Amino acid sequence: MMNGVLTRNGREWSLLAACIVAIIVFSVASPYFATSGNAATLLRNSVELLLVGLGMTLLLAMGGIDVSVGIVMGLAAIGVGRALGADLPVGVTALAGPVIGAGLGLVTAAVVVLGRVPAIVGTLGLLGVYRTAIFVLLGGQWLSGLPTGLTDVLAATFLGIPVAAFLIALAYLAVWLALRRTPYGLHLLAIGNSEEKARLSGIPVVRVRFATFIVSGALTGLAATFYVANYRNVEMTIGTTLALDAIAAVVLGGTSILGGKCSLLGTVLGVLLLRILQNGLLLVGVPSLWQPVLTGGLLIGVLMLEVAAGRLSFPQTGWVRK
Amino acid sequence: MIRLRTLQGPALTLSLLALLWVIVLVMLLALKPSVFSLGTMTSIIQFSTILALVSLGQALVIMAGGAGIDLSVGGIVSLSAIVAMLFVKLGLPPVLLPAACILIGTFLGALNGILVTKLTLLPLIATLGTFFIYSGLALALTGGAAQSGVPTWLLGWGRGTLAGIPLTFLTIALPAFAITGIVLVWTAWGRWIYAMGFNERSARLVGIPVDRARLILYAASGALGGAAALVSVAWLGSARANIGQNLELESLTAAMLGGIAITGGRGGVGGVLAAVILLVTLRTGLLQLNVNTVWQVGIVGTLLIFVLLADRLSQHWR
Repeated sequence: MMNGVLTRNGREWSLLAACIVAIIVFSVASPYFATSGNAATLLRNSVELLLVGLGMTLLLAMGGIDVSVGIVMGLAAIGVGRALGADLPVGVTALAGPVIGAGLGLVTAAVVVLGRVPAIVGTLGLLGVYRTAIFVLLGGQWLSGLPTGLTDVLAATFLGIPVAAFLIALAYLAVWLALRRTPYGLHLLAIGNSEEKARLSGIPVVRVRFATFIVSGALTGLAATFYVANYRNVEMTIGTTLALDAIAAVVLGGTSILGGKCSLLGTVLGVLLLRILQNGLLLVGVPSLWQPVLTGGLLIGVLMLEVAAGRLSFPQTGWVRK
Repeated sequence: MIRLRTLQGPALTLSLLALLWVIVLVMLLALKPSVFSLGTMTSIIQFSTILALVSLGQALVIMAGGAGIDLSVGGIVSLSAIVAMLFVKLGLPPVLLPAACILIGTFLGALNGILVTKLTLLPLIATLGTFFIYSGLALALTGGAAQSGVPTWLLGWGRGTLAGIPLTFLTIALPAFAITGIVLVWTAWGRWIYAMGFNERSARLVGIPVDRARLILYAASGALGGAAALVSVAWLGSARANIGQNLELESLTAAMLGGIAITGGRGGVGGVLAAVILLVTLRTGLLQLNVNTVWQVGIVGTLLIFVLLADRLSQHWR
């Protein structure tokens, strides 16, 4: 029985073990790691990556990808920041993120799904467009020193638990239910397994793919709301490495980059492990410039291990149907 | 227009690109006639050299199919320039700087190739990972500081011109395109690349060494990135960690604009060179019109999306 659980959820258990080992190692190596202040920082830094990661899990499980998520979060954060600065009601401010994110997800879906453009190339093009948009919208100036309205609401406690935690749990639950308890989830995984077979068996492929890009956009926008509440500023370089972090965390969590297989719990643990490693290495004196190197290395390392273990074999075929 | 309709493949791409180029030039002429001087032309070609080399590598990788793409090109350019200069600082004779740039680029490209062929990683994920590793290393090794100390004889080559055309373009970019064009059209190797891009299964069945060819193409893309690094070092007088910024986007756009099919097996190098010159003309023109440089990446991104959509539409109508 125990054995069955271990093998079935092997990835999650080993990630949990890796997290614990990393925590012990860094606690020994740095006196600052195992402090409540650092734990709070670590969790706060994980929030936006977790939300973006949930969307990325759906995208990868569907055989898609989106490298523009970091910049999409940046654009949504500008919207949230402007709303916050204009003293709009907190509800409107908080919703600005997901709404803008969903809107941008719609644009991505239009290009990638309706335009039948490979997701990597299409989202790379959008990344360029959005990067210019961020520069133009910010006009060379950071949004900073924003009011604390949103921060206060998310930090307020209900039954002793912060509202933010409720919202994140709600988002996780919603994604989990959609993925595991609705036809949409089955369709998504079927498309990830084989788009051709999914279409032939009557699954509304275009609609499901379209919806997934919008959901991912909305989750990314929600991440922007949390980002603004946490840091109360929006800088020019916002989200530069977020897409890589998200892809690395999701792949670490056991979601197949070929689609058809995913683990939401794995994504949560992957996000935690990645952030623990980044935070811990910073505290033991590795400059933050090394972080992309570490994350990229981790991504490729995990994939190499999966190939070595024979769990992953890529069909050497082309992009899309010709 | 009737004539256009009868054109096919590369000829169509080239005529469309030439038409676009003329439109851009006419618009520039109308907006700011002073743009047209020998100096401007020289700087357009100077700027083109780096993008041309990188785009050629990108085009080769995409043409060979297998979902081929090299997102790490910008990282390769930055890291080869930085590491080669660091080697010189550590005592490598400066004479070997050019060779070092190209060798390091080849090595980094071959790493991509090994990940894609031997370890069968999906190219977009493998090169996305190495993009962050390479460009991250270039930044981390130097802390972002430019590495100076380029020998003066190299600067003479990097900044010199012959009849208004930069020496780097004449001695590296043109030969690279010419050799690649000849290989693609007249050798078995070239046919293999098209064959594996067009239909990989058949290519394997007729005995084409697909994996070996693909590994070599990723290494070639790296070597071209290393050559681009050399050009940047010789031109700017220092190695900069951010020199490869946005090159993945620009080279993809140039390749797509130049008529390379994202699915592989289709396209030629002439279109790529024409697309590079069009892109750089556009960029120089915007610069001359005092449009902020932050618009460039957006315009390139928009172009990429439009080219891909147009490609889909044209297939639809055919």
